[in-house]
Amino acid sequence: MRECLSIHVGQAGIQIGDACWELYCLEHGIQPDGVVLNSKKDQLENAEMEHTNASFSTFFSETRAGKHVPRALFVDLEPSVIDGIQAGQQRLLFPPERLVSGKEDAANNYARGRYSVGAGVIDLVLEKIKLVEHCGGLQGFLIFRSLGGGTGSGFTSLLMEQLSAEYSRKTNLEFSVYPAPRISTAVVEPYNSVLTTHSTMEHSNCTFMVDNEALYDICHHKLGVERPSYANINRLIGQALSSITASLRFEGPLNVDLIEFQTNLVPYPRIHFPTTTFAPIISAASAYHEEPSVSDITAACFDCSSQLVRCDPRLGKYMACCLLYRGDVVPKDVNAAIAAMKSRSSVQFVDWSPTGFKVGINSQPPTVTPGGDLAKAQRAVCMLSNTTAVVEAWARLDHKFDLMYAKRAFLHWYIREGMEEGEFLEAREDLAALEKDYEEMGQST
Amino acid sequence: MNDTSTLDVIGRRVEVNGEHATVRFSGVVPPVAGLWLGVEWDNPARGKHDGSHEGTVYFKCRHPTGGSFIRPNKVNFGVDFLTAVKNRYMLEDGPEEDGKDQIVIIGNKPVETIGFDSVIKQQSQLNRLQEISLRSCVVNGAGDKGAIAKACPNVRKADLSRNLLSSWDEVLGIADQLAHLEVLNLSENKLNFPSGSPSLTGKFPALKVLVLNRTGITWAEVLQCAPGWPVLEELYLESNNLSISERPVGVLQTVKLLDLSSNPLIDENQLFRIAYLPRLEQLILSDVGISSIHFPDAGTGCKTSMFPSLQYLVVNDNQISQWSFINELDKLQSLHALSCLRNPLTEGDSGGAQTTRQFIIAKISQLKTLNKCEILSEERRGAELDYRKAFGNEWKKAGGHQDPDKNRPNEEFLAAHPRYHSLCLSIVWCTRRRGTPNTAAVSAQKPAANTADKIS
Repeated sequence: MRECLSIHVGQAGIQIGDACWELYCLEHGIQPDGVVLNSKKDQLENAEMEHTNASFSTFFSETRAGKHVPRALFVDLEPSVIDGIQAGQQRLLFPPERLVSGKEDAANNYARGRYSVGAGVIDLVLEKIKLVEHCGGLQGFLIFRSLGGGTGSGFTSLLMEQLSAEYSRKTNLEFSVYPAPRISTAVVEPYNSVLTTHSTMEHSNCTFMVDNEALYDICHHKLGVERPSYANINRLIGQALSSITASLRFEGPLNVDLIEFQTNLVPYPRIHFPTTTFAPIISAASAYHEEPSVSDITAACFDCSSQLVRCDPRLGKYMACCLLYRGDVVPKDVNAAIAAMKSRSSVQFVDWSPTGFKVGINSQPPTVTPGGDLAKAQRAVCMLSNTTAVVEAWARLDHKFDLMYAKRAFLHWYIREGMEEGEFLEAREDLAALEKDYEEMGQST
Repeated sequence: MNDTSTLDVIGRRVEVNGEHATVRFSGVVPPVAGLWLGVEWDNPARGKHDGSHEGTVYFKCRHPTGGSFIRPNKVNFGVDFLTAVKNRYMLEDGPEEDGKDQIVIIGNKPVETIGFDSVIKQQSQLNRLQEISLRSCVVNGAGDKGAIAKACPNVRKADLSRNLLSSWDEVLGIADQLAHLEVLNLSENKLNFPSGSPSLTGKFPALKVLVLNRTGITWAEVLQCAPGWPVLEELYLESNNLSISERPVGVLQTVKLLDLSSNPLIDENQLFRIAYLPRLEQLILSDVGISSIHFPDAGTGCKTSMFPSLQYLVVNDNQISQWSFINELDKLQSLHALSCLRNPLTEGDSGGAQTTRQFIIAKISQLKTLNKCEILSEERRGAELDYRKAFGNEWKKAGGHQDPDKNRPNEEFLAAHPRYHSLCLSIVWCTRRRGTPNTAAVSAQKPAANTADKIS
């Protein structure tokens, strides 16, 4: 009775959605056409399914025909990416009414996504959400998007404003792709990112960020992928998402509902940007060559190279941290691993934080997509930490924004669609205030 | 706990402070009184000598510092399977005991563990356990007959790596009681195999994945036990110093994945012995020191009947330095994915990584994925065009000509560039379809990052 609706916006959101629903289906034993895998008449098999059935209704709804439909909505302002879904392997999983596309895209322009083109699609999307929402116990929304694209930034801002207004009691969790520091697909990413972060700040309860560069590096160095494509990266994001949402979908101890994420990770409403790290990351070609123990994967969490966002937590202080283990993990091993981490002097918490690390175990083992880059591991860990070091990411973005804005470069594309310079200034000030807030958090009381 | 009977003890695997060893001797070593055990360490540098003391040879070691004499009470012979399971998954002392364990402080704040009690409760229901991991749990054997089948019969996946199992009999003793076993990991156990008798090989009716990395197993021993693996799909034999000494006959026919990484004694001629496994789809040959490969049953431009189902080949970290290796791979019927990283051919500066990738794509026509990156049709078109341009002059000098009647490139060129002719044909076909008559003027198209990905 605690359903979560996932809304995937723009190319990034939709392609990430494709990867993560593929993984969820594998984990829950759902075939690509929505039917649960129940082929074995073996009593044991049914027993296992019973256990997994318990909480997956958070993410899947069941039709009278016995098909399981993901509680998801895919939205884009132009049709090509959604057409890709309809032609892809999972086309039977998503009914056509869950796929919304416009005719003209946002052209990497926040203003088009938010004002001109987005305004024509928003009503349709809200209608669809209403239809899905009638399930009764909706706890909240999971929104997937990129910060740098036009639809991901502009349309999501518009959408979240509306969601806040209509569903004020629901929790909003965001999964945002932060523009890669050194690899850029559009010059105006800083504009889009700053504008959308400002407008969604008060509507989002918790935002998990991933950045493409950290992901490229992980794919390249750890997984032996020569030139990571979006497909490789999205599968990796899918793994992270699976770990983050594992407790929502299977019975688990920590973060069992969206509100708990907030309680555990967000000390103040504006400071809601935790970083994600997960381990182990082993290439499929090296399966069974290494056997990382609980201690190994715990130590890997504190390694900057396993982080999904570029920042150095050693330079900041933790405000909250959750460690969720999955798979074959016994409490004894976790206690031993944590005791071994004690000596890490680089871990510092802020003075005013009442709690330290929160550690939970979910016995559901990690799964991988067959033919993917990752080797299946017997145990995995996902660390969600709210650290002041993430301000580094905002500072970088703000700096790039300033460089362009000083010359008013590319501004006319936004002005043409009806925006004013004032909005830019307001957004930039908000981000500057955010940077200050983080600094204050880190100071000793 | 320690057997003092000499026969029982010799050959047993033991653990001393985290290091594993094999017992080679038990008895008195004069002039010191008392019983000593002579052990050969897995780690050859750990010991003090090679089994001899003051001139007398008590046992033999492969390494001059591979052996030591130890008192029996200092040595851990291990526990049986069920005891290890109980140690790991159950709370021997009761919940109150564990609740009072010290609170760990990290970063000045206490660590809060949530829900551990219910996890412990859930895991102690041994009969519901489907996946168990007993890595480094000093398991030495099955223990009482039938006890495992009674306690945890539903185990499907068992990780028994890095334990003290010393022979295949002990493995069978455990596996015979686990009828549903699908995945078994026995890595890092130095196993002894029964010589000859086929009835000792045992039956693993459901086993799909078997991991025998770093066990010292030989290929002959693999084939000897293989009749007991009728549905085996994945077999991992990394770092066993093995060489493929014979063809598998009537065994291993269901195997889809074979990992032979880090076995430096393997060479290309041995590969012919596994070339007729009908279902083999994935072959991992990383770090075996291979430098060449050839399929003698197929001429230039023909397909070989070897490795008929092979779809994915991994040859990372080898000594491949010649393009002839890549040329040969084009003869495989089903190959569509290749990983070829960290070889002299791909590491060298000549042309750069981009060019190497393009050449590999052009040389293997049906390749769909290279080094984990999908080859989109635009990349293939560009690579083939570039290849044709790069070797155009050489082709002309070797006797090539656009007019098919006058086209007679020499043997050397054909051997080095077997696909050149079909590349020319396909490019002419492409350009005819697009309506541009002049092939020489067409330059390679690099896919635009955004649009290509949008369409994929």
